[in-house]
Amino acid sequence: MWNYEKKLQYPINIKTPNPAFAQIIISQYGGPDGEISASLRYLSQRYTMPNGELKGLLTDIGTEEMAHFEMIGAMVYQLTRNLSCEDIKKQGFDAYFVDHTTGVYTAAANGTPWTATYFQSKGDVITDLHEDLAAEQKARTTYDNILRLIDDPDIIDPIRFLREREIVHYQRFGEGLRIATDALDCKNYYMYNPEFDKKCKN
Amino acid sequence: MNERTKLLHCYSAEQFAAWELHLFLDTHPDDKSALRLYDRHNARAMELKKEFEEKFGPLLSESAEGCAWLKDPWPWEKGGC
Repeated sequence: MWNYEKKLQYPINIKTPNPAFAQIIISQYGGPDGEISASLRYLSQRYTMPNGELKGLLTDIGTEEMAHFEMIGAMVYQLTRNLSCEDIKKQGFDAYFVDHTTGVYTAAANGTPWTATYFQSKGDVITDLHEDLAAEQKARTTYDNILRLIDDPDIIDPIRFLREREIVHYQRFGEGLRIATDALDCKNYYMYNPEFDKKCKN
Repeated sequence: MNERTKLLHCYSAEQFAAWELHLFLDTHPDDKSALRLYDRHNARAMELKKEFEEKFGPLLSESAEGCAWLKDPWPWEKGGC
């Protein structure tokens, strides 16, 4: 189960609405390398993990990603407040508006709706942790790209916080991978899959 | 910055420090000095959360009583975070 806390992990206070920026940032809400893809990836992969450290790590990082999903949702919401139809047309928000008004929807910047095909749960600790390491780097690149396109300090500050979290999670997953391989046959990590082959359960 | 926002930020900073150490301890479960640091930040975060909830209403749904939970602002709204 989970507990909801009525606060954001890091504050979001955007003074000036800007639907064009909202349309870019929404990719981290429902895009391929976005926060909900990350959360569901880790929270799905954790069930068959071979040891406590990895079950804990995936549960905790998967939970933190939900808090990031909420931060991005708050940014999209604040960037699309009090818009006139003129703003919507001028800033190219009309294509989104016609389907969602100013509702916050899980889509990529180009409008593609979120899909579960953005992540894998392979049931193999080495494979899944490599996907997780790559996922953190892909999200970091997306935040770097967002920072190239946006000049509002109210957006830049929380985006930098989120970018930094990707780097910390990448570090923790690297340590997790080391913990996983230390528990395997050092002459051949691939001899058994500890998530399936009973022989190797630790 | 009003008192509500100031207190919420103090709490969030301590909570974040504790969370960062909690993640570190997932992969370094035997690190005694990290555990001590975690205990310190976590204890301070709990105190600040209690103070905030007494002054400004519930943060956790489980500590909410009646309509206090439903009061604005929500975290994504102006003045909510």
